[in-house]
Amino acid sequence: MNANPNFLPDQYDRDRELSINHNYLVEQFADSAEILKKIAELVERCDYTLGREVDKFERRICGLIGARHCVGVGSGTDALMLSLKALGVGPGDEVITTPYTFFATVGAIVTAGARPVFADIGDDYNLDPDQIEAAITERTKAILPVHWAGLPCDMERITEIARHRGLKVVEDACHAILARRHDTFAGRFGDTGCFSLHPLKNLNVWGDGGYLVTDSDELHEKLALMRNHGLLNRDQTAVFAYNSRLDTLQAIVANHLLDKLPHITDSRIAHAAWFDGALAEVDEIAVPKRPVNTKQVYHLYVIRAERRDELQAFLQDRKIDAKVHYPIPMHLQPAAAEFGYERGDFPKTEAVCDSVLSLPVHEFVTREQQEYVVARIKEFYAG
Amino acid sequence: MRVRFVDLGRQYLELREEILAEFDEVSSGGWFVLGPKLQRFEEEFAAFCGVRHAVGVANGSDALLLSLLALGLGPGDEAITAPNSFIASAWAIARTGARLRFCDVGEDMNLDPDKLRDAITDRTKAIMPVHLTGRVARMEEIGAVAAESGISIVEDAAQAVGASRNGIKAGAFGSAAGFSLHPLKNLFVHGDGGVITTSDDSLAEELRRYRNHGLKNRDEAAFWGINSRLDEIHAAIGSLKLKRLEAWNARHREVALRYSEELAGIVEVPVDGPGEFSVYHRYMIRTPQRDELAQHLEERGVETKVNYPIPLHLQEAAKDLGYGPGSFPVCEKLADTILSLPVHAHLTDEEATHVIESVKSFRFVGGV
Repeated sequence: MNANPNFLPDQYDRDRELSINHNYLVEQFADSAEILKKIAELVERCDYTLGREVDKFERRICGLIGARHCVGVGSGTDALMLSLKALGVGPGDEVITTPYTFFATVGAIVTAGARPVFADIGDDYNLDPDQIEAAITERTKAILPVHWAGLPCDMERITEIARHRGLKVVEDACHAILARRHDTFAGRFGDTGCFSLHPLKNLNVWGDGGYLVTDSDELHEKLALMRNHGLLNRDQTAVFAYNSRLDTLQAIVANHLLDKLPHITDSRIAHAAWFDGALAEVDEIAVPKRPVNTKQVYHLYVIRAERRDELQAFLQDRKIDAKVHYPIPMHLQPAAAEFGYERGDFPKTEAVCDSVLSLPVHEFVTREQQEYVVARIKEFYAG
Repeated sequence: MRVRFVDLGRQYLELREEILAEFDEVSSGGWFVLGPKLQRFEEEFAAFCGVRHAVGVANGSDALLLSLLALGLGPGDEAITAPNSFIASAWAIARTGARLRFCDVGEDMNLDPDKLRDAITDRTKAIMPVHLTGRVARMEEIGAVAAESGISIVEDAAQAVGASRNGIKAGAFGSAAGFSLHPLKNLFVHGDGGVITTSDDSLAEELRRYRNHGLKNRDEAAFWGINSRLDEIHAAIGSLKLKRLEAWNARHREVALRYSEELAGIVEVPVDGPGEFSVYHRYMIRTPQRDELAQHLEERGVETKVNYPIPLHLQEAAKDLGYGPGSFPVCEKLADTILSLPVHAHLTDEEATHVIESVKSFRFVGGV
């Protein structure tokens, strides 16, 4: 085989050489006997697509975060794209989002046929409501806030702007299961809230998967059709629609891990708090603003570091998997050339992308490892 | 005796230990997306189909969609497919923004090359023949018509893995082909999955980016793609089952040939012509008394299906395309007369006998 631009195998091989990793999946699934037993039952039952474990997962998510409806889909990306389509976003429309996000956020907007319009971030690294207002045009149809790293955006202001200007809100909560702002869970502010079950998310499965929540009966009905070819019944279709279903097999894994989610979340929060305290002594390191009345679930623990690239290399040499999420903001991607942005358009985003670094805070990280990480960071700046 | 239309459980019993071992290996390895299992499956699948590349994606619908998108199909273009397919074929075309056009099928139930020219306009950019039931469409003639007008071909091979025509496998005729690994297919995984085949190096590279957000490396997107990847856990099972596929397809054919031999003259039966090697994902007979026969078989414990009773051009979703009853007479007649009998790799001889006897015991009004 030639022409295989799959860059992941090399990356995984490199990551395996490290000892303090972002990737914890081998530890997490070292003993999967319980899951495998349920999968064996599934294989006997054969309800592979939209089976009963999918229903069960959807009900449990509703119960967990207080949503009226949940729809399991193929991925977090598809949750975003299907939400936009269901809300009528399409060609000629604009959707406002942050340039400091993963590709899928923008890809979903483009796939829906709309044009992404970026607005800069604030000191919490999330969409700045003031910048959103400035980006609204007569073509704006929706706002797509991203709860980056598991920190909810200022949703009171964002939903207020949306209400005032007659815009839809689709939350990219892919990083933010169980995150809260005041008493409301991330994903519960917008017309829909979209989540990913990708293997490296706080709640994860054995492949790609996603889900979205909504309180609207109408949207729920539409989205349940849209994920399954638009089929009204076996033989009739109302619209030509997508195939984007959460596998029953993956729902089994998700249901299993839902029981562990509080522990996963609490561990991340505790590890992050410890890093916050320990790194406060390091002048060259800054952490994002931590808004009050907010529960951040730390899908990523991101800091800003002076001489970031050097520090990253230094830590990697010492077997610490310090990663950059992400070095190139969306508006400066080769794929964004058609939108006409340039460096300088979003100074806060650009400054963050130039200096941001993520440290592992997953449930399997030990205090000794954290101490080692902080000691090496101090050593780097002392050196 | 009860004869089920499909029986996935029997295949599972054949492979139980191996399947569970694969699940265990993938999960304990902790690598779930775009890893070594997928790479291996892609190489094996490409070799099986006789093409240079296979690209694993999330499902068969996406396989068709991504093939069309990677070939540049979009608004202002037109693409042609058969009106007697599953919805996904039409959806994939509509979803690109291109105008969806249908062309009637022939007696083989597949796109009729003789009618194709009438459906072609100067905007036609792609033709999507569907190898319905696992029988390869008349690709030499379709290819010739397409070549005349510089039109690309994307095969909908969702039902046809392992089928061939004059020694060429389904998936090796077009610029690209989309396969489904859905649990009801001859080769299936334990959830949704799909594969694209192509022998075009640059198309393969474009497809591998398209399925993974358009990423050319971890940090840079060449274009805005989608997320449509075949999970490692599914790819592992794909490899495991691909080894059995020829034997399973052989059993499909054995049952089908027996049906055709015994039921010829009673109902219209499918028969391969010279050079055709069909894999009978579905075994479809035709009779004007379809509904009554289905009822009779149901009473005798034989489960049947109609694939599909409402042609695509008569779906509510197609109402804006300007077609109506009478637009595609062959397809519409098929929709009223086809019936799918149980055929799968684990159907027993006794079950096949019961199906045959049950059909024979139906009193066809006015004889055959």
